[in-house]
Amino acid sequence: MNWWVLIAFVAAMLVLRWRRVGILTWVAAWLVGLYLVLNYVFVVPVPVSVIKIYMGIVSLSLFAFVLTDSQRMTEFWQPIQAFVVEPRYRPLLALVALAIPALVAFRIYADMTATPQAPFFARTVHPAPPDSIIVHDSELALGTADNPYRDLETSNPEEFKERLEKGRAVYYLNCFYCHGDLMAGAGMYAHALNPIPTNFQDPGTIAMLREAFLYWRIAKGAPGMPEEGGPWQSAMPAWESFLTEEEMWNVILFLYDFTGYQPRAVELH
Amino acid sequence: MSTSRKKWLGPRVLAQRVLAAAVLGFALLPTSLAAQDASNELGLEVYTKWCGHCHGDQGDGLGVAASRLKPVPRDFTSGKYKIRMTTTGNIPTDADLTRAIRLGLYGTSMPAFTENYLSDAEVSAVVEYIKSFSDWFEDPELQNPETITIPEPPTYDLEAAQTLGRQVYEETGCARCHGEHGRGDGMSAPTLVDDWGNHIRVADLTKPWTFRGGGTRKDIFRSMSTGFNGTPMPGFHNNLGATPEESQQRMWAIVDYMLSLAGGPWEDGETPYANLLRSVPVETELDLEQGTELFAAAPKATFPLFGQIVEPGRNFYPSAVEVTAQAIHNEDEIAFRITWNDMRAETGGSNAPDLPAPLWDDHLAEIGQATAGVSDAGDDEGGFWGDEEVEEAEDEGGFWGDEEVAEAEDEGGFWGDEEVAEDDGGDDFWGEEEGGDAAAASDTLDTEFSDAFALQFPLQKPEGVRQPYFLFGDVQNPVDLWFVDLAKPTVGQRYEGRGSSALSPSEGGDEVITQATFDNGEWSVIFKRKRKGSGLSFEEDAFLPIAFSVWDGFNRERGNKRGLSAWYQVYLEPLEKPSPVGPMTRAGLTVLGLELLFIAMVRRRNGKTVS
Repeated sequence: MNWWVLIAFVAAMLVLRWRRVGILTWVAAWLVGLYLVLNYVFVVPVPVSVIKIYMGIVSLSLFAFVLTDSQRMTEFWQPIQAFVVEPRYRPLLALVALAIPALVAFRIYADMTATPQAPFFARTVHPAPPDSIIVHDSELALGTADNPYRDLETSNPEEFKERLEKGRAVYYLNCFYCHGDLMAGAGMYAHALNPIPTNFQDPGTIAMLREAFLYWRIAKGAPGMPEEGGPWQSAMPAWESFLTEEEMWNVILFLYDFTGYQPRAVELH
Repeated sequence: MSTSRKKWLGPRVLAQRVLAAAVLGFALLPTSLAAQDASNELGLEVYTKWCGHCHGDQGDGLGVAASRLKPVPRDFTSGKYKIRMTTTGNIPTDADLTRAIRLGLYGTSMPAFTENYLSDAEVSAVVEYIKSFSDWFEDPELQNPETITIPEPPTYDLEAAQTLGRQVYEETGCARCHGEHGRGDGMSAPTLVDDWGNHIRVADLTKPWTFRGGGTRKDIFRSMSTGFNGTPMPGFHNNLGATPEESQQRMWAIVDYMLSLAGGPWEDGETPYANLLRSVPVETELDLEQGTELFAAAPKATFPLFGQIVEPGRNFYPSAVEVTAQAIHNEDEIAFRITWNDMRAETGGSNAPDLPAPLWDDHLAEIGQATAGVSDAGDDEGGFWGDEEVEEAEDEGGFWGDEEVAEAEDEGGFWGDEEVAEDDGGDDFWGEEEGGDAAAASDTLDTEFSDAFALQFPLQKPEGVRQPYFLFGDVQNPVDLWFVDLAKPTVGQRYEGRGSSALSPSEGGDEVITQATFDNGEWSVIFKRKRKGSGLSFEEDAFLPIAFSVWDGFNRERGNKRGLSAWYQVYLEPLEKPSPVGPMTRAGLTVLGLELLFIAMVRRRNGKTVS
């Protein structure tokens, strides 16, 4: 959040209110101010399409605000009428009347001569898993399954540690080319991949997911993803062709241990 | 750390300098040798969590990942480091090691350990821990090594780069390894090995974004000055001219010459990669006799490649890192030109996208250095491509699990022996630069597989967003491969792919015409085909998926062992671009008319109310 922009916006609106500016200025201030807020207050840029929707809603509200009161209506209309009618504004009116069509024409020119942009497929990052999967002939119900070795963390710390070491070996023989040495999704091949590899250090990934979900994603890879996930473009291998079930569960233990996150628990209904 | 010493006047043979430096170092003696903290617990903790899996718990560079990494992880027991501010043959400073940890080594799996991962205290501790692996850091003779200082760079001077810089490049013999135009294709490139006997790839000087030590002007100045210990790359500190000043001037000229090969100075972090290839319309016939000239007007788009590690045939270290593509079309035909840099053209042997490839690629095995067990694993060309993939997989899984442990141990032993031998001849790398070690390298010279290239398109225009699986397609969504085996550069072949285990040569259909040339380390391949016909139709004003595969015969790439790209898009610009003038005039006039109407209405209404 860029607080200074927000504070400046609020301050400007307070000043305008205090000065009791005309309704036309007031409406314009809201439109411009909210546009600036949407564009510059948030650290993560708001998509243009979202801004368009918000600005549409804001315009409609302001429109309604003005139309529903004849006093406001008059106040709103008077400066416009004066601008159009009074002779002293004539040069400015001519300028505005020519500038608007010029802007429209320029916009059309820019659109028609722009370099085409490659189409973008908005894939679902964590698609819904199936009810169950079959890995190496054994069926696993994804809704209820848990890492069979998770309990060792308390019941047998020694064996748990051994499994972490085995998981580390699996990770650093197979996964780090893409997901990176630091598990931050920035492996040596990451720049050549689309979609980019998952960043396990991001609190929005494995920390939000259950171990069975990871197991599904690892065992079945991109080819096992539903259509909304874009199975044709992700480079995630179906690891069941390379790894045993045990190795996959071990590497999941290692992912959580290395990043310090806890898996989401199985929900008991 | 930095000590000033007498500058050497005039060029000397490096062997002399190293000897002299050693004597001088002995004379100076260490002023303070930081006593190694025997219980560097923080260092051990950091090392175990972040470093051991590649560099090995013993610091010997033989962590679990080592067998699948090239360049191999640094062997800390040797004391030899590439990226340093100290002169050739010297140990690095703490700042050098900190730099490598903080910034990582571009183009390798060594990541940048930023403050998000390690605090300054943790980095210092692990630097001390890493130093404790090698005797060199305790050897009194090697302490306080001579360091270089990098002067402020003069303004980038293309003129000087192309005259003086080029001249120094030739005089210094850079081309012998780096090639005539710096593409990493010098005569000796295929035979170069490091102090551990591993073949190492010469830097492609046209791609500063892949330089291990960074590609800014100062970075290159440093690498040129200090060289890379443990490799054949020598350092040229104060050695390029009669005086240090002249040497420095000539150094900047050669730095700028290198950057001129890449199109000018490089900003840290910049990559040239695109996601769209624009095919431009031409009026003329697509006459391949014109070669490169034909594509003069077509914009270039560069796409990154990665090793095929998704399916069997895993290629952990592909040779080609990127391809640059151009495309043109006329009414009937479309042509693509693709270039990429290659150390050497392999035009003997043969290649095909459906050749069997080993399950995975063990570079140690392939250059004849790994144990028998490992090479068995690598060379098992058996049928994982078959139908019983699941059963196979289980077997493989179990097999791998056992293999890995044994493998690491075996290699450990093997390398351990090797190091003892190596340590005796610390200054040896000069000798190797002279082209020695041909015996070890000759194993790598292999003409079984030729270089090859393929373009990949969907066989039909995709409905909506669904594309074929990017690895040679899938059952429902086949791909069309335009393939050329560069041993037979004029024979264009087409394959229909429904997955990498279901590739078949296309029967009949429109011919793909190919042409290929190899010039000073650059392959240039041209494909031409009718725009409409069997397979994908290349419609105008539409986006079509396109992907690339490169096979390097030197790296024994064949079948699914290849370098490849993700899906990108090709866009055919319309032959006749609609002029914007019409729509612009119409919209402008409409708006103006509405405005005038509005003004007239307001005035009329106003007149009424006033009267």
